[in-house]
Amino acid sequence: MIINVENLIKSYDGHTALDGLSFSVEEGDIFGFLGPNGAGKTTTIRILTAIIKADSGNVLINGHDVFKEPLAVKKIVNALPESNGYYEWMTAQEYLEFFSNLYDEKQSKQESGKLLVDVGLSGKENHLIRSYSRGMKQRLGIARALINKPKLLFLDEPTNGLDPKGRRDIHDLLITLSRKHGTTILFSTHLLDDVERLCNKIAIINYGKIVRTGELDKMKGQGTIEDMFFLSTKEGAL
Amino acid sequence: MKSAYIMQKEIRESILTPKGFLWYILTSIILSVLSYLFLTNSELSLLDQGEMLYLIMNFITALGVLIGLVFGADAFAGEMERGTLEALLISPVNKMEIALGKLGAALTNWGIILAISLPYLFVVGKRGQNLFIGIGYLAVLGTLLTIIFSAFSMGLSARIKSMKNSLIISFFLFLLVGSPIFLSTALRMTWFGKFLDLINPFADAINTFDSVVIDSQNFSYQAWRIAIICGYTLLSLWFLKRSVSKLEM
Amino acid sequence: MKRATVFLLMILLAIAVSYTSASAISRITVSINPPSIQANMGDKIIYAGTITNNSDKAADNVIAYISLANVTQGKESPMDLEDWSANKAIKVDTIPPHGTYEGKWPMRLIDSGSYVAYITAVDKNDNAPISSTLSHLEIQRVIRLNPNNVLPIALGEPILIGTVFLFISIKRRRKNK
Repeated sequence: MIINVENLIKSYDGHTALDGLSFSVEEGDIFGFLGPNGAGKTTTIRILTAIIKADSGNVLINGHDVFKEPLAVKKIVNALPESNGYYEWMTAQEYLEFFSNLYDEKQSKQESGKLLVDVGLSGKENHLIRSYSRGMKQRLGIARALINKPKLLFLDEPTNGLDPKGRRDIHDLLITLSRKHGTTILFSTHLLDDVERLCNKIAIINYGKIVRTGELDKMKGQGTIEDMFFLSTKEGAL
Repeated sequence: MKSAYIMQKEIRESILTPKGFLWYILTSIILSVLSYLFLTNSELSLLDQGEMLYLIMNFITALGVLIGLVFGADAFAGEMERGTLEALLISPVNKMEIALGKLGAALTNWGIILAISLPYLFVVGKRGQNLFIGIGYLAVLGTLLTIIFSAFSMGLSARIKSMKNSLIISFFLFLLVGSPIFLSTALRMTWFGKFLDLINPFADAINTFDSVVIDSQNFSYQAWRIAIICGYTLLSLWFLKRSVSKLEM
Repeated sequence: MKRATVFLLMILLAIAVSYTSASAISRITVSINPPSIQANMGDKIIYAGTITNNSDKAADNVIAYISLANVTQGKESPMDLEDWSANKAIKVDTIPPHGTYEGKWPMRLIDSGSYVAYITAVDKNDNAPISSTLSHLEIQRVIRLNPNNVLPIALGEPILIGTVFLFISIKRRRKNK
């Protein structure tokens, strides 16, 4: 088990964002974290990446307690936040170099160049990020999230705001990553198409609780994902 | 070491940019006008050269503090508003390392302002007394004041998470610490005025410059004021540490 | 009756005269030195004032200060000595009977023109302040265009910083295509 979450509770200013959340993810999974806006997906990812603390509950990432060993967790995970901003005055190469320097094992220029090739940005490495399209920026964000060769990658709504081609590119990239490097991927989305194309397991979250979880193929046997989603989140809004 | 990379990034982002250079060109233009006026204008040129040196030192210190406040206010809230903070926090860097890197950039900025001002200080003060000792005090106290105000503003930026609001509060603080200078001499000479001056790190620095450059007084006269400034430096770093430890997205 | 009236008037006159002379002849006198000065703007000069106690009693807590008036034609006005003199007023604790006090008033000459300077002493036991005679002060205008070699720095430094900026931006633009 690479992720084991038990009874996670988090509230902000009296509003409960997570209300006893529990789930687990196996190594190598592409795990879809499905839920309407405001269901608690981003809060969960932030807690799992040791950016914020929970009020109570337990989280083990690859055996490390995320609250007691945040640095150990950060070394083996990485993430692409939902509204990821970029240092637009940097080139893609400089951007990756900067983040690589923040890890103990730095990447060489060749390695970061290769990462840019992997995400389809070859030939653009010396262009300023401000000249990139939204899809290119998202691919650069994924390259940044791969800089420490993470065992576990969190992606928060990675296809949001992308056109169909951009979305397809990101899907292909994630499938390649998972197959080639065995990276476990947890990604949050409210787009059912993303889930059906990528995931082998999903969890549906609503009002800070997991309302349904399991293997996608098995769940498909019980009806369409869309029906399941609407039934599970009927009080929430997409 | 990771702080050094953050600092390097900050320097490229805030100093080696058109905006950064505009600050420095404006600084040098203001210093040019001030020193030319001091030395040539019929009335101002008749100020004692120690006094001119003292006035320019005050201006440089105020400018260093002011830009330090802007650096501080942008530190966390600016990154958060631009959406770049989360990626930084995901990497295995201690929050205080991020803060120290940013503080390092604010100090680099102060160093550049000091370097820009040196030729002016030499030109204006070369026939006056206490030029070198004055520059020494300016370098040390300016550095401490930059730490105090940048760290405070940075701490606010981490707590408030709004660049605009932390900037407004920081500027208000700057006006508050600068205001005793506008008080009448009579009021400043009362015990209350003297007390206000003593607990105000900015006034402490200005009064130290006055005492060193104009009155040629030695270190023993400055010890209390410098001790208070050092106390504020430690206090501001403690405030910064506490604020960033509580920082959440 | 007429005689008595004249006698009474004479007595009254004598009393009045004695009062008048008592107030006119002050216990202290003030003098200023030098009586005239010609100098340039920026010069530092020193006025010396002598306060003499002419009475048999000590004069205590006498306040003395210097004043300056601009008498340049068309600019006649009293001067605020804020920038001219650091010690405008002094308090003399005591001047012994028939003794003197020597005071000094250094002054930096801020602006050109014709001025008069005088020193005034105030003794609370006198009816009026006592001033010295006027000392005439002529200040010549001095124009310096490049004192301390300020021009090369004042013009050169902004240009230098601008050039460094241009150099860095061009280098960066080339690197980033």
